[in-house]
Amino acid sequence: MSAHISASNPPRATHARVSAPVYVYHLPVRIWHWVTVFSIATLSVTGFLIADPPWPVLLGQPSNLFLMGDIRVTHFIAGDVLAVALLVRMYWAVVGSRYEREIFMPAVWRGSWWRGLFRTIRWYFFLERETAREIGHNPLEQIAMFAMFTLGVLFEIVTGFALYGQGTGYGTWAYQLFTSWVVPLFGNGQILHTWHHLGMWYLIVFSMVHVYMTIREDIMARYSVMSTMVSGWRFFKDDRDDEEEGV
Amino acid sequence: MSSITTPNGFSVDNSGRRMVVDPVTRIEGHLRVEVNLDANNTIQNAVSSGTMWRGLEVILRGRDPRDAWAFTERICGVCTGVHALTSVRAVEDALGIKIPANANTIRNLMLATQWAQDHLIHFYHLHALDWVDVVSALKADPKATSALAQSISPWPNSSPGYFRDVQTRLKKFVESGQLGPFMNGYWGNAAYLLPPVANLMAVSHYLEALDFQREIIKIHTVFGGKNPHPNWLVGGMACAINLDGPLAAGAPVNIVQLNLVSSIVDRTIAFIDQVYIPDLKAIASFYKGWQYGQGLSGRNVLAYGEFPVHANDWSDGNLMMPRGAIVNGKISEVLPVDLRDPNQVQEFVDHSWYKYPNEAIGLHPWSGITDPDFRLGAKTVGTKTHIRQLDEAAKYSFIKAPRWRGHAMEVGPLSRFTVGYAKGMPEFKEPVDKLLKDLGLPFEALFTTLGRTAARGLEASWAAHAMRTFHDQLMANLRAGDLATASTAKWEPSTWPAEAKGVGQVEAPRGALGHWVHIKSGKIESYQAVVPTTWNGSPRDPAGNIGPFEAALLNTPLADGTQPLEILRTLHSFDPCLACSTH
Amino acid sequence: MPAETHTFYEVMRAQGTSRRSFLKFCSLTAAALGLEPFYAARIAEAMETKPRIPVLWMHGLECTCCSESFIRSGHPLAKDVILKMISLDYDDTLMASAGYQAEAILDEIPKKYPGQYILAVEGNPPLNEDGMFCIVGGRPFVNKLKEVASNAMAVIAWGACASWGCVQSARPNPTAATPIDKVITDKPIIKVPGCPPIAEVMTGVITYVVTFGRLPELDARGRPLMFYGQRIHDKCYRRPHFDAGQFVEAWDDQGAREGYCLYKMGCRGPTTYNACSTTRWNGGVSFPIQAGHGCIGCSEEYFWDNGPFYQRLSPIAAGFGVEATADEVGGAVAAVAGAGVVAHAAGSIVKHVYGKKRSGTNARSGPDEGDRP
Ligand code: HEM
Ligand code: HEM
Ligand code: NFV
Ligand code: SF4
Ligand code: SF4
Ligand code: F3S
Ligand SMILES: [Mg+2]
Repeated sequence: MSAHISASNPPRATHARVSAPVYVYHLPVRIWHWVTVFSIATLSVTGFLIADPPWPVLLGQPSNLFLMGDIRVTHFIAGDVLAVALLVRMYWAVVGSRYEREIFMPAVWRGSWWRGLFRTIRWYFFLERETAREIGHNPLEQIAMFAMFTLGVLFEIVTGFALYGQGTGYGTWAYQLFTSWVVPLFGNGQILHTWHHLGMWYLIVFSMVHVYMTIREDIMARYSVMSTMVSGWRFFKDDRDDEEEGV
Repeated sequence: MSSITTPNGFSVDNSGRRMVVDPVTRIEGHLRVEVNLDANNTIQNAVSSGTMWRGLEVILRGRDPRDAWAFTERICGVCTGVHALTSVRAVEDALGIKIPANANTIRNLMLATQWAQDHLIHFYHLHALDWVDVVSALKADPKATSALAQSISPWPNSSPGYFRDVQTRLKKFVESGQLGPFMNGYWGNAAYLLPPVANLMAVSHYLEALDFQREIIKIHTVFGGKNPHPNWLVGGMACAINLDGPLAAGAPVNIVQLNLVSSIVDRTIAFIDQVYIPDLKAIASFYKGWQYGQGLSGRNVLAYGEFPVHANDWSDGNLMMPRGAIVNGKISEVLPVDLRDPNQVQEFVDHSWYKYPNEAIGLHPWSGITDPDFRLGAKTVGTKTHIRQLDEAAKYSFIKAPRWRGHAMEVGPLSRFTVGYAKGMPEFKEPVDKLLKDLGLPFEALFTTLGRTAARGLEASWAAHAMRTFHDQLMANLRAGDLATASTAKWEPSTWPAEAKGVGQVEAPRGALGHWVHIKSGKIESYQAVVPTTWNGSPRDPAGNIGPFEAALLNTPLADGTQPLEILRTLHSFDPCLACSTH
Repeated sequence: MPAETHTFYEVMRAQGTSRRSFLKFCSLTAAALGLEPFYAARIAEAMETKPRIPVLWMHGLECTCCSESFIRSGHPLAKDVILKMISLDYDDTLMASAGYQAEAILDEIPKKYPGQYILAVEGNPPLNEDGMFCIVGGRPFVNKLKEVASNAMAVIAWGACASWGCVQSARPNPTAATPIDKVITDKPIIKVPGCPPIAEVMTGVITYVVTFGRLPELDARGRPLMFYGQRIHDKCYRRPHFDAGQFVEAWDDQGAREGYCLYKMGCRGPTTYNACSTTRWNGGVSFPIQAGHGCIGCSEEYFWDNGPFYQRLSPIAAGFGVEATADEVGGAVAAVAGAGVVAHAAGSIVKHVYGKKRSGTNARSGPDEGDRP
């Protein structure tokens, strides 16, 4: 039956007793995840180098050196990749499964979502004995993914392209689409640099917690985690129902 | 009130007709002056009010002391750079930073450049129209003008054709009916004493000086990157010097730039000695009889001293222009000045739009307070937003009242020359004596409106020649192999003490300038500036002493009671800068 | 000095503007002012018969260095602009008259040339204390400014003061110094920022109008594109050193003497729109970076509050005087997050191990092999 699960036929059962694995992340999402991880890592490393070039004085004529240039170009390419990948991912949020929409719009309008959120918070505070059976992200993850990752990356992309447009110059697409309104919004380019730089830290903090949680939940939750972002399948470690709220 | 005598010896009487001059123009910034005229249109009372405030001292709090120069530089774009220099000196003093010899020489050169340029602009573009009747120049005979010009100077632009040309253009300009900056001027006023030929010569040089001044300041551009508002640096100068090697052409200062500086120095000397000084003498010779505007000059004058020959040495002997104070007209005695002494420089605010916890006392700038308090006195005529007449018995100016040991002091070129003269230094005594002799005037004539203007001219010449000295010094040091321009040992705030106080001093074009800084945990805890025009434009103090502008206006008769020509003339002789004065 | 004084129209013709484009200029001007087409003819008539275009140059809170910069112009010479191209009818720094004779001009010219004069503003109005931190003629500067603006053809905002607020509007802006476009809201305003602007940029803006018969193209923030369309960094002669990664590390080091890039000394060239690196200053002699000091960003809004000028990134003012760099803030948050992760991990290990001991119910029961895809 698993073969039938697809974008046009997503798994529906949330409350049903599911012990069978569920195909939650389609290939494009998994590829996107790892491309994003790679580009953010590249952007952060090159970002640090751009912000504060650490190498010692390079003496001599500049003609055959292009170190700063190469670092910046790497940053811009990784930035393009990040942005294009996010566009693809957004498209997939429309055509993909409901779990693949979670990072763009957590279901905050549902009472069950809020109950799940409090349950998860209690779980992380060691007040719950076990997790709920999550097929997609648990509500706390959803909100973190949305607020820290999705908004964080969008912020970096918008501010990044606004800075980029300062370089490509008046009249270029990056200038028209981003620089023209983003720079006045922040006051000036100098302030924008500061915020773009700060945005990197926002994503670093997200990544730290995310990677930790991924490993932890892989061990402690009632379902598979790490392998899910590789294979796409969610496996469950038991077939019990969710307990009612409270311990 | 009828007549009273102030503690500093002036009798003031505000019973006569009140005349208000607001705005005072051809100055920097916003100044209002009110005078009372007696039946003969002679000034019996004068009230000088600074009518702008920006709050730089408030804005500087909490900032990085290494940035302070840029903020304070924007106190004024006319005496551009002098506040920046004072600021870096104050911070260096606080942190114990020693600057390299080249930095000292370059700073001296830039300051002398500023003097020369600022004095030139002041004389021709801010002050000349107080003495020169533009319209009368139309009546001049170009041939006679040429003869006059050639008799006083070898300056080449002096043929009859040259003056005829200027006159023709002036005529067309006037006939166009659009007088531009000359509109509503006081042309034909009986206080204009120059014959048409002298007027035409001066008008020609007004235009020539406007063209030339922009050459002088290119020296700032070489060392500071631009003018107005060149760049400075705590610890020296940022303009690294490179005279050899493949990348020297891209260095801030190289042989090309040094040659440019040298050529400008020569042309500056020529212009000032062959145009400015002869014009000054020619004009003065027609105004010899107009001996007004003495005020505090010759009585209470103050100079901080300037141009340290060797870097980092502020002792009297190392300063090319002397430091000192003269009070109560005792020219024979030059008193020592110490800017750190809490009893010497103090500022009062009981007549200024600021508040102190106790306004009966003055505060030394290290404990100074800048807290605005705009309040009008009970006898003000008008409303808060439409003042018709100020009440000088109450607060009436954004300028504080600085005092030296309680005395209102005049500062500026005349004060500097007076101190130099009093100390018997020939480089100041000789040109003064020669000028007085050439004009056939007694020594006392120096202490007038005209004397102030003459001293500025002599000082411009002194500065131009000093520029040559400094450039030669710089070249000699470079020849000896010393290229250093900045010291960086104490650049990082981590190398600073937790708390430090410093004072920076400069003789600005308009007079003695001091910045007092208090640095705490790497940030500015407090910053106070006492500026030349704060001294000269000062309002009354709690004791009732009037300030230099006010004193100088007293007893001057106006030729026409509706036209403030003589008021402008005397005020302009101080070269007022109001943005400076209130900051 | 030029041979004759001309009418505005004659000056334009002499610069090669055809009568057609002159008339077009007049209708464009009328349109820009939101006036009926009928006014185009009036403007044209005024410019043909009235000699030079009247300019009223007012000063608010400022330092007069914009005026000083203006008179440094080498081409054209400031005197030619003042005496030939325009009629500088009011400028407190240069004008002969003072007091009420001067004030009268501010009343007369707008009446005599309604919609036909340019208002040039240097400095800005403070709004605190009912505007009385800048008093002219006994009244708040801001009132006079609004009155004179109300009938102007166009307004030029000279310098960072008029354009953005500049130094007196830096934190905490004790006088509430306010850029002029916040108080003049119904007129086209050309912003010419810089502290001060370059002389030739100032005269360039004026002569552009006279020579080409149109207002220069402005960007969305009102700056003439031709001078503010590029950053200092884009045309900086030290750019090859930037791309190479060759930086000045300390004042007067070898790199400083070789003209290396000033990026690490805090240069604001990468974020500053101005013509310094192309036009340069004072007749092309140099510009701040060429003279060895970084750009401080003097033509940018808020540049005063982006210090220390020698730090590449400005600190984030976290209020109440607490200031930190992005790395200090980010690093601190990351450290807290890291500590949280470690603590949580420790708790998790305890729970995991303890929980397992207490009951065997949590024993792994992986999915059936058969369910695997
Ligand atoms: C996760 C995403 C990103 C991170 C973590 C990141 C990080 C950084 C950092 C730390 C800097 C140095 C900022 C400074 O100190 O001034 C920087 C600069 C910059 N980034 Fe990003 N960035 C990201 C995305 C992007 C994107 C999508 C673009 C778009 C092309 C971009 C374009 C730029 C540009 C143009 C600069 C300025 C380079 C320069 O001034 O030479 N960045 N980035
Ligand atoms: C070695 C490092 C990483 C590992 C092992 C990892 C693993 C995972 C796993 C297992 C999931 C699925 C979680 C679930 O099923 O609930 C996931 C989701 C996600 N990860 Fe990572 N991740 C890593 C790094 C990152 C980084 C650096 C970022 C971005 C800064 C990131 C962003 C995301 C996002 C946005 C999702 C949600 C995907 C979606 O719902 O579309 N990951 N990651
Ligand atoms: N007063 C004054 Fe200045 C000068 N000279 C400063 O220190 O003018 Ni603007
Ligand atoms: S913009 Fe700067 S330079 Fe111009 S008046 Fe203001 S403070 Fe002075
Ligand atoms: S010196 Fe400044 S403007 Fe020039 S390349 Fe370096 S960072 Fe850019
Ligand atoms: S400080 Fe200003 S003068 Fe130019 S190089 Fe920077 S914009
Ligand atoms: Mg002060």
